[in-house]
Amino acid sequence: MKNLKPITSVVLATLLLGLIPFVSDSEKSYLVYFLFLTFCHIVLTQGWNLVAGYTGQVSLGTHAFFALGAYTTAMIWRADLFSWENYYFDPVTMILSGLVPVIFALAIGIPLLSKLHGDYFALGTLGFGEILKVVCIKGGQFTGGPIGIMLPSSVYTTMRPHYWTALFLAFLATGVVYFMTKSRVGLALVAISEDETAASSSGIYILKYKVLAFAISAFLSGLCGSLYAYYLFQVSPEGFLILRWTLYPVLMCVIGGSGTVVGPILGSLLMTAVFTVTSIYLPGIHPIFSGIIIILVMLFMPNGIIRLWKKGV
Amino acid sequence: MENRLLEIKDLHVSYGSVCALWGVSLHVPEGSIVALVGANGAGKSTLLKTIAGMNRPKNGSILFSGKHITGLTPEAVVNAGIAMVPEGRKLFARLTVKENLELGGYIPRARPFIQKSLEQAYELFPLLKTKSNQIAGSMSGGEQQMLAIARSMMSRPTILMLDEPSLGLSPLVVKMMFELVEELNRKGMTILLVEQNIYQALKISHYAYVIKTGKIVLEGKGEQLLSDPEVQNAYLGTME
Amino acid sequence: MFDYLTFGLLAQLFINGILFGTMYGLAAIGLSLIFGTMRIIFLSQGAVIILMAYCCYWLFTLFKIDPYLSIPIIGLAAMVLGAGIYQGLFRRAVKMEDKNITLLIAVGLMFLIENLMAVMWTPNPRSISTGYTSSSIPVGGLAISFTRLMGFVMAMLSTAGVTLFLKRTLVGKAVRAASEDIEAARLVGISPHWVNTIAFAIGIGLCGIAGIALSTTYPFDPYFGFIFSLKAMIALALGGLGSVFGALLGGIILGTLESWSSFFISGGWADAVSYGVFLLVLLFKPEGLLVRSVKKV
Ligand SMILES: Nc1ncnc2c1ncn2[C@@H]1O[C@H](COP(=O)(O)OP(=O)(O)OP(=O)(O)O)[C@@H](O)[C@H]1O
Ligand SMILES: [Mg+2]
Repeated sequence: MKNLKPITSVVLATLLLGLIPFVSDSEKSYLVYFLFLTFCHIVLTQGWNLVAGYTGQVSLGTHAFFALGAYTTAMIWRADLFSWENYYFDPVTMILSGLVPVIFALAIGIPLLSKLHGDYFALGTLGFGEILKVVCIKGGQFTGGPIGIMLPSSVYTTMRPHYWTALFLAFLATGVVYFMTKSRVGLALVAISEDETAASSSGIYILKYKVLAFAISAFLSGLCGSLYAYYLFQVSPEGFLILRWTLYPVLMCVIGGSGTVVGPILGSLLMTAVFTVTSIYLPGIHPIFSGIIIILVMLFMPNGIIRLWKKGV
Repeated sequence: MENRLLEIKDLHVSYGSVCALWGVSLHVPEGSIVALVGANGAGKSTLLKTIAGMNRPKNGSILFSGKHITGLTPEAVVNAGIAMVPEGRKLFARLTVKENLELGGYIPRARPFIQKSLEQAYELFPLLKTKSNQIAGSMSGGEQQMLAIARSMMSRPTILMLDEPSLGLSPLVVKMMFELVEELNRKGMTILLVEQNIYQALKISHYAYVIKTGKIVLEGKGEQLLSDPEVQNAYLGTME
Repeated sequence: MFDYLTFGLLAQLFINGILFGTMYGLAAIGLSLIFGTMRIIFLSQGAVIILMAYCCYWLFTLFKIDPYLSIPIIGLAAMVLGAGIYQGLFRRAVKMEDKNITLLIAVGLMFLIENLMAVMWTPNPRSISTGYTSSSIPVGGLAISFTRLMGFVMAMLSTAGVTLFLKRTLVGKAVRAASEDIEAARLVGISPHWVNTIAFAIGIGLCGIAGIALSTTYPFDPYFGFIFSLKAMIALALGGLGSVFGALLGGIILGTLESWSSFFISGGWADAVSYGVFLLVLLFKPEGLLVRSVKKV
């Protein structure tokens, strides 16, 4: 019974949130856009959470996988790969956009994770993102260079599919994290983040779990990138391959409480609100606040809101 | 009554939720060798580390020359006059012998005397002088142990705590090590010696404590404990 | 077969690479000291360098102070800033088990500095132009830019200074000892906070020097710092941790590599080559290319 409660509340919340576009005008109201952005952040944040919160490895490559997903969608669409009528919110295209990042995650994850811990992994994923950026900017026809790939925005009619897809992905990402924590895999992951040497007695499994977590995280980021491509209709280095897409999820996860299921959701909601408000009222200087907030959070509550709250209970 | 240079009262130490010391009390009289013996994991290193300021006790007090030093930082403890040669020596492996020694005299109280201390160290260990520019990590185990002791002496301590100085050394070197400890003591150094090598440790010490799972279970004069049937059964079983 | 021209060109590229690489080297030395003592990946290093470049620019445009005369001012200010960064931002966090916290603080600081600079000085590139900016010294048919040569000399002198400090002074030895084994260092009475403060002061002090060298030689903008940090990491990965000279050499190798690759494969790709090398090094020899393994007791 006790274990069921969070599940039911999340499912209920999802269903309720799903009704919002019927109540609020999705084209005019800011609410739908704000929630859409929040859900995207939740997807990325849960992805990062899976790797960092449960294995103790800091990935600084979320934006790379996010962009890979977006580019995959754009390229499939542009090339008319399946000769289909419609690539807009095409599930096959979206899933492929999740799988391409997975291939890259495996290619860099296996060697990086088997050799290094902690710091080097962060640098390696960061380096990967930078290489990708150069490739995209310099890729000529293939990647569209600095301008990127334009998609036919004429298909856009309403924000609703974006909203629902984002909500579904956020639900999916949260579900994956929840499943991982409850399963044997999850227990192994926690063991890794808590005690490398103790966990290493289980040998090769560690690598397997770390890589698995990293691959799932890349999959989620790629899906989210694909969705965001359907929103922007322009897939460019400047829109996708920016550190923001890595730093915001990190910040949101840590603020909410990494290594928990609900923490990243709280963090995403709170920080998306903060960023939205500051970007409206303090245009131009709001990134400064992001920096200050990151520092303050790391200094004064490195364990996140959720744990502050739980301590009190 | 003899002068209690170091006195430990009812010390409780834990690592997280695991309790490693449960109310340990002991004292070291000035000018003596006190041995602390016990099996692996009994809490010997924990006790020394706590005295040295590396662990914070949950409860209890540590007095040095009658003054409270409980909860001081390791730096402050060394500066007060307590030097420790940690288990496994903990040399600066990539620094030279001389640099290791000089750093031994880093604390403010000893720094003005570095040159003098260095000469005294070389006098006590002529070997170190010939190897003064060698990288510490490239020396043999016995030489490293000597260097570790010499380094701790550079801080001009009033009491020296040695954590298993004989660890990993060949029998001949072990013998030399114990002779060295006795010699330091003859020169006036107070010594708290932690050893697995119980027979030798008890032989050279004036007083000894036996620690078992975080509690002092036996104490007495060195030779007295050696002839104690309980000690013989429990710890000296393999020795004749 | 090389005719004279191509040989001259290669040599010129080589020299340019060395001159620019010393700047990476300076940043890498700072990173190495900070990482060595505290295991902090100080990603904001590059942003601080750009900040210092702006300070130099500022002193020059507002107060007409020659960039080379501002070396003591900026150098000292940078050291104080470094000590302040440690005491204010990292002192609490270094004690924590989780090393990701310090990494993320550094990221936050980078974000803060970059955007602060963008607000204060606009995102447009700046550069310092003095009477000697475009003068060069002819050496055997090659023209060596005066400002770059000065940057090189500054880098060499500060590297020598740091090396001497670490090898000859007791405090310097304490810094090395603490980078090797902080517990053992505490047991001989070395205060970690003191050593860490010094490491930060020197590391950021070197940022000051690198900032001056950069501002006199290349145009810079607020966001250039992040790439600079990455390049410094690469230099460090090439040179290996724990060696001041190795870090400088790593920077020089990287500078040369970039200079050549940007000539032979068009400009933007040069970065991909550097990052590619970086990934390869991380994958196959994470302890650093130039490092001989040291026996650990
Ligand atoms: N850093 C630590 N974290 C958690 N537990 C520890 C730590 N250090 C020691 N312990 C535990 O405290 C107990 C006492 O350890 P201690 O090192 O003091 O034993 P010891 O008597 O020195 O043993 P040995 O003869 O093997 O050196 C052991 O059960 C050990 O597992
Ligand atoms: Mg021990």
